[in-house]
Amino acid sequence: MPLDVNALGRAAGVGDVNKAQGQPSLCPASEPPEAPPEIGTLAIDLALSVDARPSPRLLTDSPWVRTVGGLALTVGTEGWKFPAPPVEYARPPRPAGEPAEGRRVVALPALPDPTAEAKARVRTRPTADTVHFKDRLLYLLQPPLDGLFDGRQLEVPFEPFPYQLEGIAFLMPRHGALLADEMGLGKTAQTILALRLLFHQGVVRRCLLIAPKPLIHNWSRELKMWAPELPFETFDGNADGRRTTWLTSNCPLKLINYETLTRDAEWANDPKVFFDVVVVDEAQRIKTRDSKTAQVVRGIHRDRSWALTGTPIENSHEDLVNLFEFIDKGRIPHDTPPKRLAALTSDCILRRTKELAQPDMPAKTVVDLEIELTPAQKVAYQRAEDDGVIQLNALGETITVQHVFQLVMRLKQICNFDPLTGESAKLERLVSDMEEVAASGRKAIVFSQWVEPLEVLAKHLARFGAVQYHGKLPQAARTPILDRFKSDPDQHVILMSYGTGSVGLNLQYTNYVFLFDRWWNPAIEDQAINRAHRIGQKNPVTVTRFQSANTVEKRVADILEAKRKIFNDLLAEQDKPAQMGLSEEEVFGLFDIKARPKRAA
Amino acid sequence: MSDRSLPAAATGHLGFLAVVSDAGGWLGGYLVTNSWGRPVEFRLSTAVQPNRVQHALYGPTLAEYLHADLIGKTLVEKTPTKPDLVVVNTPPALALRGRIDVPVVGLKLADAGAESQAAGGLVTFTHPRASVPLLLAARFAADEAAVRGLLDALDPALDLAEPFARILAAVAEHRRSGGAARAA
Repeated sequence: MPLDVNALGRAAGVGDVNKAQGQPSLCPASEPPEAPPEIGTLAIDLALSVDARPSPRLLTDSPWVRTVGGLALTVGTEGWKFPAPPVEYARPPRPAGEPAEGRRVVALPALPDPTAEAKARVRTRPTADTVHFKDRLLYLLQPPLDGLFDGRQLEVPFEPFPYQLEGIAFLMPRHGALLADEMGLGKTAQTILALRLLFHQGVVRRCLLIAPKPLIHNWSRELKMWAPELPFETFDGNADGRRTTWLTSNCPLKLINYETLTRDAEWANDPKVFFDVVVVDEAQRIKTRDSKTAQVVRGIHRDRSWALTGTPIENSHEDLVNLFEFIDKGRIPHDTPPKRLAALTSDCILRRTKELAQPDMPAKTVVDLEIELTPAQKVAYQRAEDDGVIQLNALGETITVQHVFQLVMRLKQICNFDPLTGESAKLERLVSDMEEVAASGRKAIVFSQWVEPLEVLAKHLARFGAVQYHGKLPQAARTPILDRFKSDPDQHVILMSYGTGSVGLNLQYTNYVFLFDRWWNPAIEDQAINRAHRIGQKNPVTVTRFQSANTVEKRVADILEAKRKIFNDLLAEQDKPAQMGLSEEEVFGLFDIKARPKRAA
Repeated sequence: MSDRSLPAAATGHLGFLAVVSDAGGWLGGYLVTNSWGRPVEFRLSTAVQPNRVQHALYGPTLAEYLHADLIGKTLVEKTPTKPDLVVVNTPPALALRGRIDVPVVGLKLADAGAESQAAGGLVTFTHPRASVPLLLAARFAADEAAVRGLLDALDPALDLAEPFARILAAVAEHRRSGGAARAA
């Protein structure tokens, strides 16, 4: 006869003995525990014998009834299936005769070495705001990154450095991320490898990569190197062709420059166009909140937003706030005080300096070289400054910062070359230094704010094989210049403008950097310097920053140094002052100007 | 490079079965990966705690029954992706080989408990794809050649012991996220 054993147990006052034993303690949502077979629950129920007796009291009080647990053991399960890529990405066959570029063959030991110290594995971890277990599993169950690039499945030109693996592990689980490594630490490679793994996992299927125009070629090259099996395309050609790329193409990875993106805003912001991840390289380009570029980038429909820049803060904390409008809108509430920024954003920002990432990186020596102007330059400078200040004062309340900037530019140009004689104390010193550079068989980079001085320098440094690389050169001519400069032992110096040469180029085969004149922003200068002082550099790098004594250059340099300190402080998560740009007061303070605009008075 | 293409077997799947005990009893985590360790499927069992009657009834075969029949076989059979090789972390789970038509190897872990060590009839061998010695049930020693062939075809960076760290992390996470609470 059917018998409610638990009821019997309860009736007998023995409690839920059965419940505590032999029953699954977890019950997955997807599949309830299988119902035990009828034989499953066995109660040695001596009350059966008394059940037929008429007296219910005897049943209730029976000390005989004992539920001793089930006989059968049952278990329930809960399962999760991982996403898979739409196609298994396979590297296109290598042409016959192509050298085995950097293929890393690992000879694993036949037997484990018990004395070897266990190597810490680098794993992806779900972020703190990943709530659902299934989403956390997606990252918890991935293989460690340090093993992935050892084997045969994911070929890489060389094994990533440990800090780069940490960078990949940082990017992969994040939907909003700012990789702010110092220039030269390989943000490009880390990003490509993170994308490559996400593509292989099937987590990412469509990616848009936005970079400055001069860097598109570099990205293409790095993509072929770090993710050879990943197809990508660039937005080339006329409007019809680009429209097809935006709306029709199924290519998983698309590469576009900022200018084309802005031109194609209508398609880029089309709701039908969606990307699993949008990567913005040199993300300082969108730091101005209301710029067309920033608006178009923010308008792209996307799931993940990654920003790459070594200089997330160029002028003020507002730069970072505006970047987060793209990275994670809403993370920084309106009117957040600067001192709270670090706490709000720290989970989304990864920044390493070279000293931190690679303690064995060759040293970088920065020399601030004060140079006495030639007599002709001194005369020209003094006259220009005196006249300039008189003119500024004459402007009275109509004076603006722009007026002061014009004077500064004029004076800086005189510090480079005397306008009448062409004399240049800096040039004399540069030629002298280049003798040494060339004699040692090394290479140097010279940076200037303007193209004209570079053209003059090119003539004077011709015997050192000087080549130029700046915005006046057509895009197609630039890469061959770099290739030749790298391979030709007689080309010892490359002359670059900050605007064209300071970002994205790998010139780690150079060991000397000369800043012929100074840029307004220390972050730009750092970018320039890091063309040489970056991963792969095998020798110490010497940076010489020219500044003419007793001139506006020295005054600007002092301000730049103060700004540099503020940048470091903010990213070091300390309390910061709000204003980091060259303030109006600072600009006017460069000269002894009595006149002031009304609002500054 | 000459050896660019992977052997056919390397495109297959590996199953990693971890049977662990916690306060709620014994439970299993089963991870199926591709040949270079990328997860394909994951399945967790509920915990099971044998009572005294069950201990008495199953006697010395209880561990084998729990690990191989109840947890292992259930997890493997309920997972749609079929593995070419199953790796287990406890000797009792090696008995799974008798219940499925797939080779099963175990990891010879230094911290194996007395219960595991009591299990006899094991064949030990080593392979570069595992950082610890491997075990086979003696009655399935003939599997060794096939297992070696499968392991030879795997990605050289793969360590058969490594995925268990992932499974244990997932089990711990499941516990933290209230997996047990959902049973209530």
